[in-house]
Amino acid sequence: MQSSKNNSMKWRYLKQHVFFGMVRASALIITLALGGIIFYIVYNGIGAISWEFITKPPTHSMTQGGIMPAILGTIYLTVGAIAIGLPLGIASAIYLTEYAKQGRVIRFLKVGINCLAGVPSVVFGLFGLGFFVIFLKFGSSILSGSLTLGFLILPTIIGASEEALKAVPQTFREASLSLGVSKWQTTYRIVLPNAMPGILTGSILGIGRAAGETAPIMFTAAAYFTAKLPGSIFDEVMALPYHIYVLATAGTNIEATRPIQFGTVLVLVAVVLGIDLIAIIIRSYMRRNKRW
Amino acid sequence: MESNTIIKLKDVNFYYGPSQALTDISMTFGKNKVTALIGPSGCGKSTLLRLLNRMNDLIDGTRVEGEILFEEKNIYAPDVDPVEIRRKIGMVFQKPNPFPKTIYNNIAYGPKLTGVNGGDLDTLVELSLKQSVLWDEVKDVLNKSAMNLSGGQQQRLCIARALAMKPDILLMDEPTSALDPISTAKIEELIEELKKDYTIIIVTHNMQQAARISDETAFFYIGSLIEYNKTEKIFTKPEVKQTEDYITGRFG
Repeated sequence: MQSSKNNSMKWRYLKQHVFFGMVRASALIITLALGGIIFYIVYNGIGAISWEFITKPPTHSMTQGGIMPAILGTIYLTVGAIAIGLPLGIASAIYLTEYAKQGRVIRFLKVGINCLAGVPSVVFGLFGLGFFVIFLKFGSSILSGSLTLGFLILPTIIGASEEALKAVPQTFREASLSLGVSKWQTTYRIVLPNAMPGILTGSILGIGRAAGETAPIMFTAAAYFTAKLPGSIFDEVMALPYHIYVLATAGTNIEATRPIQFGTVLVLVAVVLGIDLIAIIIRSYMRRNKRW
Repeated sequence: MESNTIIKLKDVNFYYGPSQALTDISMTFGKNKVTALIGPSGCGKSTLLRLLNRMNDLIDGTRVEGEILFEEKNIYAPDVDPVEIRRKIGMVFQKPNPFPKTIYNNIAYGPKLTGVNGGDLDTLVELSLKQSVLWDEVKDVLNKSAMNLSGGQQQRLCIARALAMKPDILLMDEPTSALDPISTAKIEELIEELKKDYTIIIVTHNMQQAARISDETAFFYIGSLIEYNKTEKIFTKPEVKQTEDYITGRFG
């Protein structure tokens, strides 16, 4: 009796060890994979990075020189996508959580939004081409690309905003409404400011995606090569993801430009992190007074 | 309607979806009186309180029958804007719920947005905080976050916030149930003081509190008004057996 009890204890300990081991291994694999990717990019790309690389346009059929127009283009497109996606996404989320009567129509809408999140990005690209570039005659331009990317990141922003709005305590809404403050003012003055840090946290994911996507911009905004910088939102731009794609698949000398390709990848990662960092700084500024 | 009546309920029924929460409530609330609503959990006293400033509108699927007259006008009439009603009938909640803003902005929030006393906000903030006997404790930290105050201070801040709207009626939903005895005593003193200028309707689980602070007491049980009388009468010679059982602690 005693020994069988001991045995079952041992067996349970063993199971626990195996399970913990598996969980630890999973965490380790993920960390290693991430570390590996970053190391690989930095190791291969750092050699290409120079002041000239990030401040000069490409030369010699894009086999030498810098990538400044592509950096600028990606920043324009990403900022444009945020400027379109964020207000639209927040407004939709406010409607869904604060105003709409929960029911079949809303459930259907939410399913629709989730489906949108699963649509391949190339479909967004074709939609952008058909609708913004051709139908609305915006041409291949920053405007068309920003709109397409804005719609691409919309489901992410709506989802993040919904969660953040729901996390604002109901007691804040009640307190404000009980003072005879209207629903819109309550939403605008109390709910939204308290949800903003959460909205930004979730939207950072969307921002990264907007900066890194190739397919949505290749038909709507990105140029193979432009020496001049865009003068207005109706101009085409070079963009980092598309530039990488071009150099790696259709460049004039694919092998010789490997260092430039990796340098561009490194810069893209840095730009995405930079934009995220700005969002994080804004978020912590907004959070300074919030505690509940 | 008698001149000292401020609110009158006529055959009020209230439903959350299919389930009835209040049945045939008819009663009046006296002006500048403190009326306590007592009864066991789930008896409908909080629901009734939230009917009076239309806070139950916020819950989907609720339905009101009957009339609630405030200054002789039915607040559930189709042409009445609930926002207007809530400006005149303020509310203090069970858990202190200051906004994550500065002390000053907590008070100034309502008047600023609704244009009440648009002129001199500083004076209004000071007056409201003095009314809620919080001024001396916070006058030097008006620009600090209200979240740093103690629970009792937060609740007095919430009272000041409601008072800043210059309401006619103050509804209080178990305002001291989350507070320690000292803070509770302060709030009770405050209520005593406020009843000179305001009509107060308070829901409480604390029988002694009802006996101490109220002029009238209404006892509810399973959605019905069982007994409603002068507080002294209710606590010394209740007419209904259920009331007596409840106040003597035999159930509830």
